[in-house]
Amino acid sequence: MFANFCIDLFVTAATFGNLIGTSYFLRIAPGSNLITAMVAAFQSGRDIWREKYIKDLASYLLTLPIPRKVFALSRITGGVARSVIATFPGTLVISYLYGILFSPRLVEAFVIVAVFSLGIVGLSIAVSAFASTIEVFATVRSAIQLYLSFLSTVFYDVSLFPVIVQPIVQTNPMTWAMQAFRALQSQGSTLYPISVLVGPSLAFALIGAVCYLWYTRL
Amino acid sequence: MSSSTIQVTDSSDLSGQSTSRLVLQMARRDIATLFRTPWIIISRSLAFIIQLFVFAYLISGLVVKFPGFFPYYAVGSVVSVVASISFIIGYDIFEEAEEGLLDYLLTLPIPRREFIIGRALGGAVRAMIYTIPMFAIVAVLENFSNPLSIIAAILDLFLLAFGVTGLSITVAVSVRSANRFDVVLALLELAVSRASTALYPLAFMPSYVAALAPFSPVTFAADSTRAALSGSSLDILGLAGLLAFVAIFLGLGATFYFRRLEGGVYA
Repeated sequence: MFANFCIDLFVTAATFGNLIGTSYFLRIAPGSNLITAMVAAFQSGRDIWREKYIKDLASYLLTLPIPRKVFALSRITGGVARSVIATFPGTLVISYLYGILFSPRLVEAFVIVAVFSLGIVGLSIAVSAFASTIEVFATVRSAIQLYLSFLSTVFYDVSLFPVIVQPIVQTNPMTWAMQAFRALQSQGSTLYPISVLVGPSLAFALIGAVCYLWYTRL
Repeated sequence: MSSSTIQVTDSSDLSGQSTSRLVLQMARRDIATLFRTPWIIISRSLAFIIQLFVFAYLISGLVVKFPGFFPYYAVGSVVSVVASISFIIGYDIFEEAEEGLLDYLLTLPIPRREFIIGRALGGAVRAMIYTIPMFAIVAVLENFSNPLSIIAAILDLFLLAFGVTGLSITVAVSVRSANRFDVVLALLELAVSRASTALYPLAFMPSYVAALAPFSPVTFAADSTRAALSGSSLDILGLAGLLAFVAIFLGLGATFYFRRLEGGVYA
């Protein structure tokens, strides 16, 4: 995943920085890390799907003496933890680029990744609960990743979108995660973008938990 | 994905057929395999549409240092998709070996050479079938109407597909661990596409990327395709690079696959 991040940042983002301007590179840099977080977060759903359909572990896991709700919560928490760990070096790189590597604001960078990942883990678990084949899971995952990456402010400002599409961009969790990171760069407050991001993230996490509980009843 | 079988009504049907028919038979199987799983076609098509009509359209407004970035990116995204789809054959072959389907395929009365060439051809042809509609969209958008230019561009794309198929087969039969295989192929796909002139011009790449990009097969294909479509010239160097790439990796892939087939999974 770090290799993926490096190629995204030091090849693609760096080239677009040369094409558009140096400030553009710094502007889009967090996008590479958040995309890595998104990929890592989606692994949770993929693992849950594989446990049921490939490894046949789902039945065994559900016999463990753990209340289902606690189990659902632990899957989501585990997914977030995995995503934060997977993006740990990437977050450090972005923090270095933003000059906050040795500052207490480094913690905010990790908080942004964790909150963002929370929503994506919930989404991926919800998708895995309904996907009957891995191809369906992969297709829905692709569609969600395209929405998060391209219909957001990772690469361009919301004002560049047609007016009719702007609400979709403004409600995209990736948009608020990017806003939060850019606030770190400009030494501004991340409180507002993070508090907006918490809303959809918690909602998706709740949906994921409910879907997982429903899926384990079958 | 690779769960198809070849219907054989009479074993003598296959053994009596010519080499070309057997190769085409194998190729048809791989083509059918991809279209039996339409979801991957849907997801890749969606990715192409959004990349072109959202990302490329919006970003081209920001790219003032390179006028004509949208047509540049449009052609390059087709080249990139060809490479991406061509890599899938490696996943198919790896899965077949893991699931034991390879053992069944090897019992068919098809000589090994035809088997391997058929796999490579099938991987390349299905990449082309899949990419032609996207190429058509770009051709209409950019008003590419010279039939000779279009044929030359399609030839470049086919050579790229053929070579990447060979590369993918080489990796699939060389790496034993499933996790390592996934990682190696994914990184290779990313590196070959991103460190190339498919999506951005060489002049704007960082120096460490610009040093490698000229040697990427995707660069050869992208530059050659653009030269063909612009009607300005035939990119002899790009074409030669593609042919060399095809020869090397098809040869390597075939050799490694042959050794793997003959030695079984313990080779």
